[in-house]
Amino acid sequence: MADSPLINQLIDALRCLPGIGPKSAQRIAYHLLQRDNEGARRLARALNEAVDKVRHCERCRAFSEGPVCRLCLSTKRDRSLLCVVESPTDVQAVEEADYSGLYFVLMGRLSPLDGIGPDDLGIDKLAALLDEGNIKEVILATNLTVEGEATAHYVGELVHAKGIRATRIAHGVPLGGELEYIDSGTLSQAIMGRREI
Amino acid sequence: MARVSLNPSYVLHRRSYRETSVLLEVFSAEQGRVALVARGVRQTRSRYRNILQPFWRLQISWFGKGELGTLTAVEPDAPFRPLIGRQLIAGFYLNELLLRLLHRHESHRELFNAYDDAIAQLSTPEDEERVLRVFEKRLLQATGYGLRLDHEVQSGKAIDPEERYYYQVDTGPLEAVPNGAEYIKVHGRTLLAIAAERFDGDDVLREAKQLMRLVLARYVGTKPLFSRELYHAYLKNMAYSELKLKKNAENNT
Repeated sequence: MADSPLINQLIDALRCLPGIGPKSAQRIAYHLLQRDNEGARRLARALNEAVDKVRHCERCRAFSEGPVCRLCLSTKRDRSLLCVVESPTDVQAVEEADYSGLYFVLMGRLSPLDGIGPDDLGIDKLAALLDEGNIKEVILATNLTVEGEATAHYVGELVHAKGIRATRIAHGVPLGGELEYIDSGTLSQAIMGRREI
Repeated sequence: MARVSLNPSYVLHRRSYRETSVLLEVFSAEQGRVALVARGVRQTRSRYRNILQPFWRLQISWFGKGELGTLTAVEPDAPFRPLIGRQLIAGFYLNELLLRLLHRHESHRELFNAYDDAIAQLSTPEDEERVLRVFEKRLLQATGYGLRLDHEVQSGKAIDPEERYYYQVDTGPLEAVPNGAEYIKVHGRTLLAIAAERFDGDDVLREAKQLMRLVLARYVGTKPLFSRELYHAYLKNMAYSELKLKKNAENNT
């Protein structure tokens, strides 16, 4: 514990960061105060601005500075394709995979054992989006965990109920993978999901 | 320090812990429900990264005494057969029941086998309702709340399949209307069907479900079971999509 209440307050605040315990928080606090005052000011400003101005897009629930995000407003995107993902970081990942449709971000996944149900995932917003009538296919790109699978099936049924095509991303052998080193679970998924060539 | 080596187990629930670890609730054959920390398994270079999934029969080694053990090794104990759709949500329901009813470090060998059977059947297109009823019955039995299914409580007479009984939680099947609450009217054949673990007909299955619901409500506490709610929401969606498909088919002809 430092003598200064302000330093203690800073150390305490830093601990809200993921993976930062008391020791690391102390190290960061002293570094900022001792060696990088300008960096500390910039960090404070950036945090303030981001927290005040970043919100969820009204259409896709991704982070956005305006009411509707840039991706949803873009005229270059394929508006008949909708990719459903769990988190904003998944949007970044799928963007790098050469996808050009729209997104819907659930901000989580169905997890009955943690008490997370459909109401927590903005399913009503997704339904409203589907009701607009432009979307022809929904790609379910939730994680390949049991919760992600349950979410995909749940959303898939909702999409079917609206008479729209629902697809699930393929899973199996990674690019450049050698079968010998792949775990049996992944390999059995790959065999189940095999396709005609 | 207690060490457990390659014990048949299922992961009931996993939660991310710190940057690279997970906290697991595990149902093991030898020690029942245990809480384990699996360190570093979320790193890309961990060889256990993909394997610690629910509904997959594994062999798990761990050490530690007290509440939280440390996982040391894990390997598959059966081929991976994923649960999908309704069966997957039914699987969550089994796990939620176990987490509500089991205390840590209580061995339940027979219940482990019952769970093992149930998961194996859920990975086939088997009707999940029957699987759930059988598991619920065995779960109550194993935790000391077993149902009375063969004799009327007051007279001691064998259950008559055609008769209707008042099943009262904690007491059992009665011919006369019981004093107090927590009872439900069921046919004798439903009680016998649960005892024999064979459910012929939708009426028997529906009554068995209502009975189990009443009895379980006593033991799992007042908090609603989320997986049950999810299951119902899912069935509702499915009913809509079947309706839609039917409509589309009619429009096309």
